Amino acid sequence: MLSFSAMTSGTRISFSDVAKRYDLRVIFKSVSGEAAPGEVLVITGPNGSGKSTLLSILCGLLRPTRGEIRYLDGDHEVGRQDWRFHLGVVAPSMAVYEELDARENLGFFARVRGMGPSDKRCREGLLAVGLDPDRRTLVRGFSTGMAQRLKIAQALLHDPAVLVLDEPGSNLDPAGKDWLEEHVRALAISGKTILLATNDPREMEWGSRHVALAV
Amino acid sequence: MWRWLSEALAVAAKDLRTEFRTRVALNSLGLFALTVLAAVSYTVGPYRIAVEDRPFLLAVLLWIIVFFAALAGLDRSFVKEEESHTAPLLRLAASPAAVWFGKLVYNLCLIYALMAMLVPLYCILMGYKIVLLPAFVVILVLGGFTLAVVTTIIAAIIARAMTRGALFSVLSLPLLLPLMIFLIQGTTGASEGNAETVTNTIRAVLSMGGIMTIVSAVLFPVVWNE
Repeated sequence: MLSFSAMTSGTRISFSDVAKRYDLRVIFKSVSGEAAPGEVLVITGPNGSGKSTLLSILCGLLRPTRGEIRYLDGDHEVGRQDWRFHLGVVAPSMAVYEELDARENLGFFARVRGMGPSDKRCREGLLAVGLDPDRRTLVRGFSTGMAQRLKIAQALLHDPAVLVLDEPGSNLDPAGKDWLEEHVRALAISGKTILLATNDPREMEWGSRHVALAV
Repeated sequence: MWRWLSEALAVAAKDLRTEFRTRVALNSLGLFALTVLAAVSYTVGPYRIAVEDRPFLLAVLLWIIVFFAALAGLDRSFVKEEESHTAPLLRLAASPAAVWFGKLVYNLCLIYALMAMLVPLYCILMGYKIVLLPAFVVILVLGGFTLAVVTTIIAAIIARAMTRGALFSVLSLPLLLPLMIFLIQGTTGASEGNAETVTNTIRAVLSMGGIMTIVSAVLFPVVWNE
């Protein structure tokens, strides 16, 4: 279990009484939680309980039917339109571009995030996740594990204050899972706020706070 | 401002790069335009239309080919992002304004590439004589721009719908019909050497393009984020 306190900066996320439904189908009724810098908030629940939906709501990609979500950067509340600057996201429902190679993908995300082309940073990002920056294979030729590593590199590229990880270990080999655990622990120690949706017992142990969803 | 422009150009460059690697939109636009052009030039040709009717009827045929070719391929810019599940990361990474302008630049490149290939070929095969050539080029440029603006915002609106193809045509046609009428009038004027008609057309298309650009820029963040 991770618990890191005494963090002086970073982004705190709190959400209260969050509900989501599509027409008459209720996804979840009332979910509350909080994650501070240096903490890993683990969201668990069976398939179909709404873990990914909750993460999408917390990222600002979906609007909740009810409830309040707040991003606090110190004492300053971050406006919804600015949440994206604080976020790095890895999720099975979010893909990188298959017709680009790994470096082109990171280069694109660096440019649209206003970081400039920064080839050096892209190379370092790829090396950090165990991908060869000089390999110019298009992503469509990647294994699922390699694509997952690239998605993680994309999420970390702009050094976000908040990491949202939806089943991050899926498709990774044992060595990749070891690397991921080590990296998530290091990121939490460095003061990142981490939201993690998983049913993997090993990943659940990383959490300092837990939210359990039910069907 | 420069940062926003750089982000938008990154979106356009990414789209152009992926398009050159897959050629889905280029093939849709190009093959539709060439097939219809071949069919029209074979069945109608330059001599089956009376000389006095040529400026108008050939303008009608030209813009019908351009518009329907555009409808066949320009919705891809947003539909592809949704189908390949890349839209959520793009939403999180880029500002809506940069995405809108980047997609517009990409659609402009496609429509101008289509026109550059199609229009000279059409004029040669159909024997379409243009008296006011610079005015004709201005009409093509403005018409292509307005067409791209309208199709870009409609493509964004329909991208998450289930019946995308049908919706794209249904929503685009009412917006594009007035534009098509203006462009046909202007092209007829350019062919006949009627400067007044051409001037009025350029004013009308410029106004429509300006209005659609402002409306799209305001509407897009809502369409993209909700």
